[in-house]
Amino acid sequence: MKKIAFKTLGCRLNQYETDALASRFHSGSYEIVDFNQQADIYVVNTCTVTNQSDQKSRQTINQAHRQNSDAMVVVTGCMANNYKESLLESKNISYVVDNERKAAIFGIVEKHFRGEVADPEGFDRDVFSYEAAYKTFHTRSMIKIQDGCNNFCTFCIIPKVRGRATSRPAADIYQNIRSVVEHGFKEVVLTGVNIGRYNDNGLNFEQLVENILALPGDFRLRISSIEPDGFSDRFFQLFAHPKLTPHLHLCLQSGSESVLLRMRRMYTAKEFRAMADKLRSLYPDFNLTTDIITGFPGETEEDMEATLQLSRELKFSHIHTFKYSVRTGTRAERMPDQIPEKLKNQRSNAVRKVSEVNKREYFTQMIGKPQRLLVERFGADGVARGYGQNYIPIRLKAKGIEKNTFVDVVLDGIHEGKELEMTAVLL
Amino acid sequence: MMNSDFDSLHQVLSLRMLTPTAYVLRVERKGLEFKAGQHLLLGRNGSIESREYSVYSTESDDFFEVLVKEVDDGLVSKQLKQLKAGDKVKLDGPLGFFTLEPETIANGKFLFIATGTGISPFHSMVKSYPGLNYRLLHGVRYSNEAYDRQDYEPSRYILCTTGDQGGDFYGRVTDFLRKNPVLKDTHCFLCGNFNMIHEAFEILEQQGVPSSQVHAEVYF
Ligand SMILES: Cc1cc2nc3c(=O)[nH]c(=O)nc-3n(C[C@H](O)[C@H](O)[C@H](O)COP(=O)(O)OP(=O)(O)OC[C@H]3O[C@@H](n4cnc5c(N)ncnc54)[C@H](O)[C@@H]3O)c2cc1C
Repeated sequence: MKKIAFKTLGCRLNQYETDALASRFHSGSYEIVDFNQQADIYVVNTCTVTNQSDQKSRQTINQAHRQNSDAMVVVTGCMANNYKESLLESKNISYVVDNERKAAIFGIVEKHFRGEVADPEGFDRDVFSYEAAYKTFHTRSMIKIQDGCNNFCTFCIIPKVRGRATSRPAADIYQNIRSVVEHGFKEVVLTGVNIGRYNDNGLNFEQLVENILALPGDFRLRISSIEPDGFSDRFFQLFAHPKLTPHLHLCLQSGSESVLLRMRRMYTAKEFRAMADKLRSLYPDFNLTTDIITGFPGETEEDMEATLQLSRELKFSHIHTFKYSVRTGTRAERMPDQIPEKLKNQRSNAVRKVSEVNKREYFTQMIGKPQRLLVERFGADGVARGYGQNYIPIRLKAKGIEKNTFVDVVLDGIHEGKELEMTAVLL
Repeated sequence: MMNSDFDSLHQVLSLRMLTPTAYVLRVERKGLEFKAGQHLLLGRNGSIESREYSVYSTESDDFFEVLVKEVDDGLVSKQLKQLKAGDKVKLDGPLGFFTLEPETIANGKFLFIATGTGISPFHSMVKSYPGLNYRLLHGVRYSNEAYDRQDYEPSRYILCTTGDQGGDFYGRVTDFLRKNPVLKDTHCFLCGNFNMIHEAFEILEQQGVPSSQVHAEVYF
């Protein structure tokens, strides 16, 4: 039996696609091994969103080659689109497969081992032809509903590497969810590049979510990462449904109106604040997390202060902080007043500090409140770990608990570890 | 690169000079769907560089036009200026969300504010919807930059100039806006230079226009 190892860099969408591929190989009689082990095939699903992600992607490709220089190394993901020519020149790489043909990797590998020429370009492009992933590395099942983006934010390379927005037919999504729920998954996470722009022949994102919530089965739905533009009142009402988790990763990027305009984001800081206020007025414990870019060209101390101020005010319980990274071919690349690395680092650290304080405050606010823990794993100490509906990491010491089940708990404290978690007792 | 898969080549039909540095480039539309206010990505055939250009022509024209100002240290705005009828450009799109909401077109009041070639999407809107109830503030340096002024109803077009006194108002569009407040139910569209847009946003907010009614397209 051939051994195959996967490594994913970057976003949830990449993670979903790797899971789906791994599941396909698993049912196709391949043994899936850890990336640090000796394998016959290494698949590196790369990311190119920042310089750091380019670097990590390159390091991972080299690691695969070092582990077994005879192995077949398949490089896919956004770097494969952005740097195709230079990757093709590398002797350490057997195949470079672009995002649109990623789902064909199983076919490519099979063909290769039958001794045939497996030119990836000869395979069909289809960004949705992944099989449902039953055998994944997670208890949450990600469901891809959309790919690509038409927003063209001035810093962003994604429209170039993921292409234009396209939506997966709703009927396929319902079918996919029914089937993962039948296979025992308890949490479904919607994923895509810009899922709020979902549109299947007029059926929009809100309607899609409503229809998913009406599907039968004991599961909960997480929207996760979404762009803050174009929400109707209906969107805010959706969270009253018990199956929809009260958490959004709503990407702010900057709290400065002037930076947002130059980023060509589709909202103002004021509009963002209004959305957050609305969510919190309807659902006081709603968990908001976000992305922030520091050091965008021309960002002043005043702009930075606006970002810190808004981050405190909106109490994001987690802020994914990125240093602005020049991407070739984007408008921001040609903007004056690029910010020195040192200053970007300082600003990122300031944002991270706010994030830490916010997280602690949010966890403190949640003490004494009930959560539905989905048990994902057990630590060496036998403590059950997983997430509540508000996306709070929870530790539970209790007997007779099983993995991948819902357990009703009450949060009773904060656990200081490498990452901050909450502790809980059975309800 | 994936980008190239989306680009397709369109033939240049004509190039019309409006001033020594501003021109209207007309290319084949090839039946592409388009809403007034959207933009295209255009680049010279064979070059990896492309730039965004708002469509200047109307929804019903069977060609696309863009209004381009040659930028001194620019690249693409210079390259496109060299094109002749029969040449090819690579074109991607139309893209973007800087469009009129269909339900507002018949009865809405509109304020369009543009600097320079930022007038382009408004040209498309005004010509696509002849009954539109709009007022257009166009900010330029010199009065010869009142691109195709004859295409707008004279009572609706206000040329604001800062370099000569040949316009309808001597000063910036934002000065005009401060002196002439708008009604709160106006749908405001701002296009062009970032500084103007940033300032206009604040003025409109002070004048009580809700931010959901203010739309912006930042060129640079
Ligand atoms: C959505 C969108 C729509 C656009 N529509 C139009 C349009 O309809 N007509 C048009 O002429 N331009 C438009 N632009 C600007 C256009 O995309 C290019 O930036 C511009 O033509 C300069 O490109 P370049 O390669 O010649 O110069 P670059 O090398 O890209 O830029 C050189 C410098 O010129 C400045 N600059 C950019 N645009 C202008 C301008 N219009 N006037 C003065 N300085 C400028 C930039 O700040 C930059 O520092 C639009 C931009 C966007 C984002």
